[in-house]
Amino acid sequence: MNAMTKIRMAAFAATVLTPFAAAAQDVELTYLTHWAPDTVKLLEEAASAYSEQNPGVAISVRAVPFGDLLTTIRSGGSGDGPTIASIYDLWLPELVRDGLVAPAPDAVSGEVTSEWPEGIAAAAAVDGQVYGIPNEINVYALNYNKAMFEEAGISAPPKTWAELQDAAAKLSTDGKQGFGLINSWAAGVVHPFASLLASNGGALIADGKPQLDSQKALETFELYETMIKEGYTDPAMGTSDANTTGPFLDNFVSGNTGMIIMANWWESALRAGMGDDFANIGTAPIPVGPSGDTARSISYSWMTVVNAGAEDAEQAAAWDFLQWLDGPDSGENGASAMAGILQSMGILPSRTSDVAAFEEALGRPFLEGYVSSLENARAFPVVLGGQEFSDALQQVIEQLEYGQISAQEAQQNAQADAESILERAQR
Amino acid sequence: MTAMSPGRRSLRRIRRRTGNSLLFVAIVAISVIAAFPLVWMLLSSLKTPAESMQTPPVWIPSTPSLTAYREVADVIDAARSFWNSAVIATVTTAGILVTSLMAGYAFAKYRFRGRDLLFAVLISTMFLPPIVVLIPLFRMVTYMGLDGHLFGVIVPYLANAFGIFLMRQFIAGVPDDLIDAARVDGASELRIVFSVVAPAVIPAIAALALFAFVYHWNTYLWPLTVLQGNTEDYPIVLSLGRLLSYNRGAMNTGLVMAGATLAVLPPLVLFVFLQRFFVDSIVSTGVKG
Amino acid sequence: MVSPAVALIGVFIFVPMVLTIWLSFHQWSTQTGFEAARFVGLRNYEDILGPISVGRDFKRAFLNTAIYTALSVVAILPLSVIFGLLVYQSRVAGGQFLRTILFSTYMVPMIAVALVWSKLYSPSEGPLNQILFWVGIGPQSWLSSPDTALYSIVILNVWQQVGYFTVLAIAGLTQIPSSLHEAARIDGANPVQEFFGVTLPLLRRTLLFSAVIAVINAVQVFEPVALITQGGPANSTNVLTFHIRRVGIERAQGGLGSAMAVMLMLSLIVVIVLIFSLARQKEERA
Repeated sequence: MNAMTKIRMAAFAATVLTPFAAAAQDVELTYLTHWAPDTVKLLEEAASAYSEQNPGVAISVRAVPFGDLLTTIRSGGSGDGPTIASIYDLWLPELVRDGLVAPAPDAVSGEVTSEWPEGIAAAAAVDGQVYGIPNEINVYALNYNKAMFEEAGISAPPKTWAELQDAAAKLSTDGKQGFGLINSWAAGVVHPFASLLASNGGALIADGKPQLDSQKALETFELYETMIKEGYTDPAMGTSDANTTGPFLDNFVSGNTGMIIMANWWESALRAGMGDDFANIGTAPIPVGPSGDTARSISYSWMTVVNAGAEDAEQAAAWDFLQWLDGPDSGENGASAMAGILQSMGILPSRTSDVAAFEEALGRPFLEGYVSSLENARAFPVVLGGQEFSDALQQVIEQLEYGQISAQEAQQNAQADAESILERAQR
Repeated sequence: MTAMSPGRRSLRRIRRRTGNSLLFVAIVAISVIAAFPLVWMLLSSLKTPAESMQTPPVWIPSTPSLTAYREVADVIDAARSFWNSAVIATVTTAGILVTSLMAGYAFAKYRFRGRDLLFAVLISTMFLPPIVVLIPLFRMVTYMGLDGHLFGVIVPYLANAFGIFLMRQFIAGVPDDLIDAARVDGASELRIVFSVVAPAVIPAIAALALFAFVYHWNTYLWPLTVLQGNTEDYPIVLSLGRLLSYNRGAMNTGLVMAGATLAVLPPLVLFVFLQRFFVDSIVSTGVKG
Repeated sequence: MVSPAVALIGVFIFVPMVLTIWLSFHQWSTQTGFEAARFVGLRNYEDILGPISVGRDFKRAFLNTAIYTALSVVAILPLSVIFGLLVYQSRVAGGQFLRTILFSTYMVPMIAVALVWSKLYSPSEGPLNQILFWVGIGPQSWLSSPDTALYSIVILNVWQQVGYFTVLAIAGLTQIPSSLHEAARIDGANPVQEFFGVTLPLLRRTLLFSAVIAVINAVQVFEPVALITQGGPANSTNVLTFHIRRVGIERAQGGLGSAMAVMLMLSLIVVIVLIFSLARQKEERA
């Protein structure tokens, strides 16, 4: 019988698995991303342009929902996974620790260090070694609905937390919420919180140590508490699904949410959902808290990395392709092809030459507010255990949003969690 | 007992009649509630994006269109996904049938030391939720080089306790004389299993095949874990999850509903045509067990 | 004869089961080989039962799973008996049709169920709040509030599963000799007395079987959480299958995830033994 099973398996393997065998001299690369199909199409076009110049290198793009992306990268570490993956900078330290991503060759790391702004290049490196080529950078700002502002008689977007609460109070009428808070999605919860905290002069982590026990952090938790207690925000209108869409987006699109702190990348989602009404959306700096002196924000970047389990020839081809894709020769007007793809989604490119090439486009009203926030933005802390830290803080903030704990308890839990998570990630 | 007076009897009849109509109303009401989500799914798949976003909701699409279905074909390779689902479900089912028939035959007709204990141990795995072994199993499959392939989805599930249990129940009822006669004719034990015993338990085989097929058509967690984003090999249920990533909130509800409708069809059609076998197998396992 | 089945089940169920237990005492990144595991004694268990986020999240997921499972079983069993009686009775037509409708929902992939129900539950564009509005009930928050999200997922689970258990109940009903029903009627029992005196006691074995299957099915809930709620809002729908996968695979904390899996396995053993012993006790008393 065992023999029978074997024959059955062999026959099955022969029929089903054949398509995966590639001719020896050719290199087949797979590029994993979470982008939407229209964007994937642009990437595929760029990839075929590269293949034309480099016959023998075939590149296929695989897209999975954002919620599955990290798991897919993690489980793909054994060599059969994607050759190239697009990752969120927060994930890099652990991927490096587990040996899943390949260090960049000297030529690539030299280019990253010289052609990208220092902070962004730093997020693509661990202990001085570059592992990825940065592409998009996202920053947070306050988006507000001008039509709703006009209706409520508010002349300008809020500059301070006091003005924020005022505006939120005026906007919160019959079923509408003045200020939207996102839940059920870690970055959507934690990044706006961190932006407000930064604008209050605080930070989540400094020198690898959590700073959530500060007075500045407490004030931020208390801001949330007030917003909830006064009914300026309705958590039920802020849920998100595995694809970082859902009610929070729907409610802002349909004019049920007056203000929300979000990142620039959602421009394409807003445009698609609002049509002509998109012109009503304004962008303003994050309001400044009582202990802060200036509007600050949080940024995070994405990068492409190469699977350490891939064959040497594949790795070499992958880096060559990425260097081309992110380099000045692949796009128009000295921009990279990558920057062109990102701009189609309203995402900010990060390579210095790309920013220059797209100067005009970056000045459009919605994006301008974001671009100007970049100056005073801090990178979201990239540390070992970062994703878990982010998940834990998300839970604490959501408990606060739903009135399950007080601002003090939230602060205590958040700090204790963070200490334990960062300590555990080191051992 | 005394005979009832005519008046009481007619009262009883009236009561019975109102009882009957209440019963009927209950049956209709429950059927409507049970069918509603699927009907809504079908209706939503025919709406325009604008209709999907309307508040209060639109019930009947004004101009039913198949645009959403065409869009599904754009976003995912539906034909390939269906093929993958079919390969996973068919090969796994075939494996389960073979291993279950053999093991069921042995447990029903052989006497060997530790038989009942072995049977009990095997059957106990029926109660084990897959998540309990997911983490190491995933690693093991990676060691075997099966991760990222359909093979990895299939191999760990080629035998299962339910199948062995079902087959033992049914094969126990096959007369020993039949088997002995085949042995006298010099048939090998394998031959006996597949050409003497199997034909005698066709209804059980059909039931097991249907259950296994539908289960492995629908299963989500394991393929998601083992295929690691190799979307070419995604079965339809995983591709359906991918559709959501092209869904900006309520805007593309039609797209997701069209995908769901497509994914639901094969198991549903199978069921409608072969309902008898499903029900019989549940009856036999539920009661004899 | 048994070797193929034994080998497959041994390799793909028993070996990983033993490994899960072994790993639960180790610190191990799921990304590395088993040989990289480092023995840490009971530390994983201390962590998942402790007061920090790891422990809070696990305990919450455990509790959510327990509530979800208990509510599912408590809703499914009575409904399956009622629906079973409706199908089994022969006084009015439509029974077979009802069975077909109910059972067909069991054929639908859970992923499709989750997607469809997430739209049904939509606060503004969803039909459920619209129907509630028609009958004079205000809009419900369904999946968007931590107070209702878990119950909303229970409802969709009950909807999907009840057909299967109805067929089990019908199977149980067909096994009750009609002479017993006749005897009860001759003794002057009304339908209610007949149900509690004859039908229910004789359905006990079926219900016991149903309860065990319903528990096993319920602890496997994954798709609605993974796709729709991501465990939120405020952890209210974080269930064990989702959480163990998130910790063990996404965060690659294989040791912690394994310790959680072991806790799940132990609890299941306890619950199943309890259900059986409860049933046996009743049988002895009867």
